[in-house]
Amino acid sequence: MNFKISFFNKSLIILLLSFFTGSSIADELPRQYLRAINLKFAQVNNYSASIVVTTEIPFIKMFPIKATIYFKQPDLLRIKSKSIAILPKQNVDQLFKIMADTASYEAYLQGDEPINGSETKLVNIVPISDTSDVVLAKFWIDIKKSVVLKSQITTRTNGTIIANYTYGSNERYALPEKIIFTVDTKKFKIPKAVSADLNNYNAAQNDKAKLGKKGKITIEFSNYLINKGISSELFIK
Amino acid sequence: MKLFTASLYTELIKIVAKPRSYIGFIVITAIVALIQFAMWIDGLNFINFITGNVEQTFLIEGKILNGSLVTFIILQTLIVHIPLLIALVTGDLISGESAMGTLRALVSKPISRTALLLSKLCAGGIYTLLILLWLGIISLGLAMYVFGNGDLIVLKSEELIILPSDDLLWRFFCAFGAAFVALMVIASLSLMLSVFSDNSIGPIITTMGIIILFTIIGTMEIPIFDKVKPYLFTTHMIVWRSFFESPVDSSQILHSFLVMVFHITSFITIAIVKFNKKDILT
Repeated sequence: MNFKISFFNKSLIILLLSFFTGSSIADELPRQYLRAINLKFAQVNNYSASIVVTTEIPFIKMFPIKATIYFKQPDLLRIKSKSIAILPKQNVDQLFKIMADTASYEAYLQGDEPINGSETKLVNIVPISDTSDVVLAKFWIDIKKSVVLKSQITTRTNGTIIANYTYGSNERYALPEKIIFTVDTKKFKIPKAVSADLNNYNAAQNDKAKLGKKGKITIEFSNYLINKGISSELFIK
Repeated sequence: MKLFTASLYTELIKIVAKPRSYIGFIVITAIVALIQFAMWIDGLNFINFITGNVEQTFLIEGKILNGSLVTFIILQTLIVHIPLLIALVTGDLISGESAMGTLRALVSKPISRTALLLSKLCAGGIYTLLILLWLGIISLGLAMYVFGNGDLIVLKSEELIILPSDDLLWRFFCAFGAAFVALMVIASLSLMLSVFSDNSIGPIITTMGIIILFTIIGTMEIPIFDKVKPYLFTTHMIVWRSFFESPVDSSQILHSFLVMVFHITSFITIAIVKFNKKDILT
């Protein structure tokens, strides 16, 4: 058989090949970045750390509180505190939970973006399943250090939460030294009869000042104890 | 001074002897017990109703339902009602004597009318203090025993303030102190009204009416009332809540304190002037 390939057919094959080759590289690269972070975190079987939570939410006034965080693979997390702590619903381990299940998402490289002077690759993660709680996750990854410097996770249940990560001596485990969560806050209002907030003639003015602001929760980690063993009973509430 | 002390002692004996003096203690005990029982049974649902709005976005860790919160809820609930219980006793101090026909005998004693009135006010003040002490013992003491210590979530209609447990005791003491000054406004108001009346019920009902009216004005969010609210003593009577602010607004506390002292002084002055001119012969 004599194959005669026309110029048009040749061009089409080259185009398709380059498309498929190109797309597999584009899909593989972000997965490599995520895999490198997963590998770092996989070294951690369990950890505990002291944390200081500073809450700056327009309708909540509170002092920074001290607590202890406990984590055990694969997904046990507990924050123990004598004080009342306000934390973002997407917890500190959400990032690793999403990245760990590599079969559940498609990863796309969106481009380069500097974060606090560091060059990062912006990787978008889109879940394959329609029923996944996560709608879209964006990770700004420092590929030299294999750590996430910023994340933006949108879920059906909790909306969008942006987190900025700073690393210290435990960077080799991808464990942060500080996380700053930025959250869109809704207006807080409870009936005056419930709060018994009677005769408060300043309330209306205060109310207007607190609308449409973002909330910020900063968690500072210290005294990491990594792979020292933690009993599973500690995670039973 | 000796005559004043003797008169004060007599007035205290009179208060102790009257059955209505115990109504305040009984009512406070019943309300506190009822609130604590309700919080013990269904407190978590109440908390969820308040924090539900916050928990849509945030996770709240820690023991929210504790003795500090229950005490704060009790204080908030009772602050509207305790003045009425105080007026029940202090509104009767002069008018009760008139009604019983003992006023003439009383003012014929070798003590000035001003000193007599002030001794009655002091007796009313001691009664108020005892009511507050009782409230403090059964609300704070019992709540801490039943629910345990913990951080306090201060409930406000437009915000939440979370105060650490080790920063609360002084706030509760100051709050009770501020509540005492606030209740003395009521005691002096009802005493003043008592001077103008010759029957027991009139001053008590009038005092209650004034408190209810002013509280309704203070509660309604109508712009025209906003201009009036700063001048109502009921607005400043909730100054005890300012000790649970973060940071504590000392200028607002001082302002409210001065307004309340002004009211107390005015009511007592009017009462003294009227009592000194009061006709006891007819």
